[in-house]
Amino acid sequence: MGESSSVVYKKGEQMRISYEWLKELVDIPDDPQVLVEDFTRTGTEVEGVERVGANLDHVVTGEVLSKERHPNSDHMWLCKVGVGTQNVDADGKPEPLQIVCGAQNFEAGDKIVVAMIGAVLPGDFKIKKSKLRGIESCGMNCSERELGLGDSHEGIMILPADAPVGVPFAQYRGMSDTVLDCEMTPNRPDCLSMTGVATEVSAIYDVDTHMQMPVIQQEHGAGPDGEGDVNSLVDVEIDDSELCMRYTARVVRNVKIGPSPEWLAKRVTAAGARPINNVVDVTNYVMFLTGQPLHAFDLGKLTERDGKRHIVVRSARDGEHLTTLDDQDRELTSDMLVITDDRERPVALAGVMGGLNSDIDENTVDVLLESACFDSGCISRTSRNLGLMSESSMRYERQVDAARCNEVSNIAAALFEECCGAEVVRGMVDCYPNKVEPAAIALRPSRVRAICGADIEDEFMATRLTRLGCKVSAGEDGTYLVVPPTNRPDLTREIDLVEEILRLWGEGDVEPTLPAPQNHAGGLTLEQHRMRKIGATLRACGLCETSTYCFADPRDLARMGMAREVKGTAVKIIRPLVSEQSEMRRDLLPGLLRAVAYNKDHGVANVHLYEIGRLLFGRANKSLPDEVTYVAGVLSGSWDNDAWNIKYGTHDFFDAKGVVEELLDALRITKVRFRPTTPEKSSWLQPGLAAEVVCKGSVLGWVGAIHPMTLDLYGISDTVVAFELNAEMLLRLAQDQLPYVDVPTLPGVDVDLAIVVDESMTYEQLVQRITSAGGKLLRDVRLFDVYRDPVRVGKDKKSMAFSLTYRADDHTLTSAEVDKVHTRLVTKVLKSTGGEIRS
Amino acid sequence: MSMQEELEAIESKVIQDLAQAESMDALEQLRVKVLGKKGSLTTIMRMMGKIPPELRPTMGKLANTVRANVDEALKQRKTELTRQLMFERMEAEASDVTLPGRRISLGTQHLINQIREEIEDIFCGLGYIVADGPYVETTYYNFTALNAPENHPSRSAKDSFYVVDNAPEGKPPLQLGDSDVLLRTQTSGMQVHYMEENKPPIYMICPGTVFRPDTADANHLPQFTQVEGLVVDEGITFGDLKGTLDYFCREIFGKERATRYRPHFFPFTEPSCEVDVSCGVCHGKGCRFCKNVGWLEILGCGMVDPNVFEYVGIDPEKYTGFAFGIGVERVAALRYDLPDLRMLMEGDMRFLRQF
Repeated sequence: MGESSSVVYKKGEQMRISYEWLKELVDIPDDPQVLVEDFTRTGTEVEGVERVGANLDHVVTGEVLSKERHPNSDHMWLCKVGVGTQNVDADGKPEPLQIVCGAQNFEAGDKIVVAMIGAVLPGDFKIKKSKLRGIESCGMNCSERELGLGDSHEGIMILPADAPVGVPFAQYRGMSDTVLDCEMTPNRPDCLSMTGVATEVSAIYDVDTHMQMPVIQQEHGAGPDGEGDVNSLVDVEIDDSELCMRYTARVVRNVKIGPSPEWLAKRVTAAGARPINNVVDVTNYVMFLTGQPLHAFDLGKLTERDGKRHIVVRSARDGEHLTTLDDQDRELTSDMLVITDDRERPVALAGVMGGLNSDIDENTVDVLLESACFDSGCISRTSRNLGLMSESSMRYERQVDAARCNEVSNIAAALFEECCGAEVVRGMVDCYPNKVEPAAIALRPSRVRAICGADIEDEFMATRLTRLGCKVSAGEDGTYLVVPPTNRPDLTREIDLVEEILRLWGEGDVEPTLPAPQNHAGGLTLEQHRMRKIGATLRACGLCETSTYCFADPRDLARMGMAREVKGTAVKIIRPLVSEQSEMRRDLLPGLLRAVAYNKDHGVANVHLYEIGRLLFGRANKSLPDEVTYVAGVLSGSWDNDAWNIKYGTHDFFDAKGVVEELLDALRITKVRFRPTTPEKSSWLQPGLAAEVVCKGSVLGWVGAIHPMTLDLYGISDTVVAFELNAEMLLRLAQDQLPYVDVPTLPGVDVDLAIVVDESMTYEQLVQRITSAGGKLLRDVRLFDVYRDPVRVGKDKKSMAFSLTYRADDHTLTSAEVDKVHTRLVTKVLKSTGGEIRS
Repeated sequence: MSMQEELEAIESKVIQDLAQAESMDALEQLRVKVLGKKGSLTTIMRMMGKIPPELRPTMGKLANTVRANVDEALKQRKTELTRQLMFERMEAEASDVTLPGRRISLGTQHLINQIREEIEDIFCGLGYIVADGPYVETTYYNFTALNAPENHPSRSAKDSFYVVDNAPEGKPPLQLGDSDVLLRTQTSGMQVHYMEENKPPIYMICPGTVFRPDTADANHLPQFTQVEGLVVDEGITFGDLKGTLDYFCREIFGKERATRYRPHFFPFTEPSCEVDVSCGVCHGKGCRFCKNVGWLEILGCGMVDPNVFEYVGIDPEKYTGFAFGIGVERVAALRYDLPDLRMLMEGDMRFLRQF
């Protein structure tokens, strides 16, 4: 057989609830949609509603009346299949169908499943009247796989001999069921079982459950004369009761392995498992019913010593191997828990999956049934580390009810008796070192109302908690004492009960109110307002804000020509998604350059972007890095494409500098210098087009044209100018106001001045000399032209033309006054610069 | 010709000539001819001293009248001409007004930050302050003090970006599982920081970037934006939580949108719930946009779990509170029906310019 008996859990299908099954356990509304809405309202998330069997129209049960060789084929058969009144002749009498069939596994008299003409099988397989080797065929005998029921395609599906004929298959199989596919929150392990769901439903609707569990009919002695019990056959040893809280073992003998009865197969199928054999199906069925994972060992495959089997639950040894039921060899580590045969041989990965060496097969006679409780964290880690999720591990991960392991074992034993013809050996080995009783919780109804802000009656609280399985009694001063059921590990405090009460009462019915803060004022801080102003100013300058990853490529700084240590150490991600994002950024420029490249690659030539983002700098011997917010911008192309009435130039250094100046102005940061910087300091900037932004002795950042070599490494061929500033320094230097200066009421006098100076003299130097020579009447100095001409101006010279404004505050200047001041200015400037007046 | 006749002649001549003056220059010439130093009227006025004294009052009066009339006529003509020139200029200036304007094109704010600021403003209006927290956190703030169990799956390296701890205290710093330092997976850690540093009443939101190891695709980004909210005060109820989030949803999505509270589970709140807002396309009937549910999930919230209060030393009997977490990308995706979240990180000007 060798088939997996552990059901592998599919994500998003944590709990499949068969409506028909649930209906047996508790009264529910006829319309599943009503339950879906009430589940949603009370906190059970229904991911999907599946109507099983809805797609099996024209598929019916049939009986093979005759089976003859196909006259023109040596492997096909010509059958007459009776389908009762599903097919009638002209007089309305049942008429068998003539069907050509290639399967070999059936005989006349077998009950089978027939897809009649008009049926559409899974995979959009339409059944039509057809001719096979010259003989007409009016339907198809179906295999399990063709019906979408399983993988078996070795032959057609043979139904039990007592199956009725001429009944729609979906009805026969009870497949016209509705299955709710539910996602349970991690705090509700109880709802990973049909009984738990039924309890939940009983609390939602305040109705009774009717859960009748099967009971063992007869227990047999362990010895040949009926003496002794299971303890004479099995002993159990738990190494660490923190990891295995309880382990029970039962033995059933003389099982007759075979297919499960129809009802059992149906339930297991509805719950999402595939029927395998009666023993395995019982363990799965009971798990779906109770939420307690069970494991069945073939007793005969366990080593016998001193007439007994010895189950030892211990930690795995590093490097130990186990082949699990899915035929995968697993290497184990010491943080995993294994069930072993007499300590040495692992026979199951506790709580996750059984071992192939002790599995149930068609020759199994005696079964050892495990019903145990393992530590949720341990199972969770094991399952994650091995990438092996099973219905069992999923339940253990969320915690299994240790108190009920024995009850569940008895249910399974009773079903082995009923469905596998087994004899149940008397007694149970029950290793339960630290029994824990749930403690009573004091519940103050007034507190419930105060937290919820809703007028929930005491009576409602008591009733619904009782429905949930709590024992509720009256305590002192109008309180209740509530003992939660053992399968609700999430209920340990009063607040846990408040949650239960509120969700059942209806969160939607709580009246919305707005709190009225006393002695508390809200709003943005000064820094937050200033930060917003930075963005607003850059947008007003025409830059669009973008957002790039806080992750960095470890090669980014090298691409900027920087040594790795220049900016301290990076914050390194231990397990990055991709190597290009394996550390945290220490500069905003690389991300923006990637955005420029993205735009250029997509045909966008004009790019103006800014980002306000955080940089992370690792600190030696400190767990947490420095986190500093920077603002950076990039400009490439021009502000826009030329239009009918406007021409734009290609962005150059001074566009970027202009943006920075505008920003500093908006923040009223004064006394800023743009200091030429060297290639050693700013390797990513083009020499001669690179400046540090300096204020009060601190460097705020830089502005410049990006070095062509850096651009090349980011795949950009166009010029890019950029800036990057420490936003936190900007916020500190920003001023909300500058002193008011009187608006001039008297006219000023403008005088132009063009001076030819050496190429090496900077604008800053010249303006500084003009300003200091101008005295207090000089109010404005504006450069309006720079002119170079080797002949007219001279080699290595430039002419800089300024417009100077003179003004006095108390009288209108006479031309004589202006002449006097201006002449003095010119003399001083010429002297201090060695320049000459350009005539 | 008597003086009187001369004066009358000048007046009528001026009136006559004015009609011919078609430009400002011609008008000026005419003015000089009559009123200039050697102008005809000026000349006559100078002769006033030479006429008999008995005639002087009459003549003087007449001369003044003529002078006033001439002035008035000149002024009137000037006004006419000015008007005429204005019309001519306007005619010449008339243009095709459908031609595009000359624009200074403003930049745009990133969609996520627009929504983030909008959320900040909504809560500032409700009396909240805006806090900011670190990207790199310890597991204590990201998980433990938020009541996340020691073995909670979200702590695993599959669900969190752990970073190298530079103060490893003897542990190998690069070993996964030995670092307690990570990129925050949620802004909820700021609840703890804020409560450690501030006493109630607390009305706080904390917007910020968070990180989870999800490979970037149409619906996931390894870095995204949350806005955490926290209120701690005396007498705060679940009704207050609802009133606050109802207000938020209406402000952000529109007055006509309804909300739905579904009980849920988060380690740091109890009772917890998820909030859905009615689908803006079908208004709850179910359509393709809301995958036939009629509702769109937008945030998680709940009453602050007493365990969290105990971690930060706030008395859970005296104070109650609520917390919520809003996914800003989620709000953006819902508002604009964005086909692919990665567009938010590419910096494509054609995308950014739309918002």
